[in-house]
Amino acid sequence: MQMRVAEPIIAIHHVSRRYVRGVDEVHALEDVSLSIPQGHFAGFMGPSGSGKSTLLNLVSGIDRPTSGEVIVAGQRLNDLSEDELAHWRARHVGLIFQFFNLIPVLSSRDNVALPLLLTHLSKAERLRRAEVALGIVDLGHRLHHLPRTLSGGEQQRVAIARAIVTDPDLIVADEPTGDLDARNAEAILSLLRQLKQDFGKTVVMVTHDPRALRYVDDAYHLDKGLLLEGEDAERARAALLVAAGHGAAPTGAAAGVRAQP
Amino acid sequence: MKYLGLVFANLRRSKLRSAMTGAAIMLAVLLVCLLLTMPAGLDALLDNLASNTRISVHNKAGIVYSMPQSFVRKVRQVDGVAAAAAITWFGGAYEEAGRVTFPNFAVEVEHVGAVYPDYPISAEHLADFKRYRDGALVGRQIMRKYRWKIGDRVTLRSTVWPVNLDVRIVGEIADDHSPYLWMSTEYVDQALKAQGREGLGIANVVWARASDPSRVNAIMRAVDELSRNSEAETACETEKSFFSNMFGSLQSFVTIILIVTALVSLCIVFIAANTASMAVRERAGEIAVLKAIGFGRRVIFATLLAETLLLSALAGGAGVLLAVALTRALRMFSGWSEALGPLAVFIITGPVIVQGIVLSLCVGMLAGVVPAYGAARKSVAETLHEIF
Repeated sequence: MQMRVAEPIIAIHHVSRRYVRGVDEVHALEDVSLSIPQGHFAGFMGPSGSGKSTLLNLVSGIDRPTSGEVIVAGQRLNDLSEDELAHWRARHVGLIFQFFNLIPVLSSRDNVALPLLLTHLSKAERLRRAEVALGIVDLGHRLHHLPRTLSGGEQQRVAIARAIVTDPDLIVADEPTGDLDARNAEAILSLLRQLKQDFGKTVVMVTHDPRALRYVDDAYHLDKGLLLEGEDAERARAALLVAAGHGAAPTGAAAGVRAQP
Repeated sequence: MKYLGLVFANLRRSKLRSAMTGAAIMLAVLLVCLLLTMPAGLDALLDNLASNTRISVHNKAGIVYSMPQSFVRKVRQVDGVAAAAAITWFGGAYEEAGRVTFPNFAVEVEHVGAVYPDYPISAEHLADFKRYRDGALVGRQIMRKYRWKIGDRVTLRSTVWPVNLDVRIVGEIADDHSPYLWMSTEYVDQALKAQGREGLGIANVVWARASDPSRVNAIMRAVDELSRNSEAETACETEKSFFSNMFGSLQSFVTIILIVTALVSLCIVFIAANTASMAVRERAGEIAVLKAIGFGRRVIFATLLAETLLLSALAGGAGVLLAVALTRALRMFSGWSEALGPLAVFIITGPVIVQGIVLSLCVGMLAGVVPAYGAARKSVAETLHEIF
């Protein structure tokens, strides 16, 4: 019996990203190639300055590569203009940030409904969908609360609801547990995993958090702009776990290798 | 329209700041609207005061210099003159007030009615004015101010002539804004002679009425010709020109105020621009997130600009409404107070309202366009990199 391999939703071929900071040219990414199948939960891991956020920005269409090719959801992103990328992101990507970044003067429901402003849906339909999304993250009882009245974990769940309200192909999370305590971090990771399992979403996450290794299907380790492979990736993973005091990984997740959660 | 909720929510973000900026814009628009009424208002004031057939004949050196009272007879002889009356400043202080609080003149009772046929003086009152030597006609504004009524006797102590005169109010000039008191030249003349002095003998102004507006210029030339090389050469001018010269300094003042107002408006633009810039800076993170979740540059620019435009439009609208209410109130109260009387002609017209609204929109546009463009221009990656 032949195992069915999912089509890659993200295909990155020989991507480099350089930018100028002052008089220096920074090589944020160098010749990175990877592909992530649809419906997978992938983690980009590595120390600060390793290039993981740059890679996430390329995958989510926030940034464009200096060279190489980025294809996401069948769209080659290299050639899209800033406005075309914005339009593409609105349709295909749900974004989650470390600091939640909710609009403080809008209620939970209105925050979640924000991306739907870019659609042609009626106001009633926008609000209905926002309520459904908040229900998925178990915040159906906090519809009218302003962000300042919610805990950090609740705010991040509102941000996740905002990311899924447009039913995107891809959910991208940049350090989603970075500003949360251990209990809330576990809850958010579990929720992201649930989005993959229950709704078939592809989730890509940048994190320092070794706990994430238990939730992701694929962990990609980066260092100094390079994607680590083979033994280098295993060493990076082990170092991450040791630094976090875990000793050994609870799952077999490794760089570029499909984990069995 | 669907972004309006977001725009309103952002305006409510810092209520005090929005309120203060709005108040500054509102006051600036109010001020500008009131000042914009001034040129038209002054013109209307002159039109109300002046007739197009009346001519002022006064000493070439100025109205404080006199001319022989007998000159009025020569003026009456000029072709085209329908009537003429000599008027002399009496400068009477009402005893209760102790100083000159309203203009009062000695006038030729037989002729003054014909020179001012447009003044609302009833035939009965005019007849009584001619009948009673000590009679006086008083403007309604003064009647109201001092609660005088017809039949009252009033004593005026002249600050020019060495006489105190007791006059009897026999009629009124029934105009709410008329501040004058007229008494008989003959009465003043006799009072002076009774004290062993020469009579009045002089006039400050001879007011002549032309039979037809088209003859005014010819009459003025003829009258000035009559006085040429005399001790009191005259300078004729139309009534509108006469009052316009009196208000000349006021018009210069208005020009200065208009310049100051333009500068104030510019300051308001800078204040509003600073507020908009602060708002954009404070929300840089949120703007970055909006961009990241798919809000394009045009939407970001439009929503940020809409905030300042909306604030300016609301504040400017309030300023215009306040200006309309204020000028209406002034008109309403103008009959009650001598001081407010002339302000009744300052009316907020349609064009002034349009200019006020346009000004407020310009303030919003100028204040908002730079910060909004700055926020929209940067790429989302650049913005996120700066913020996070």
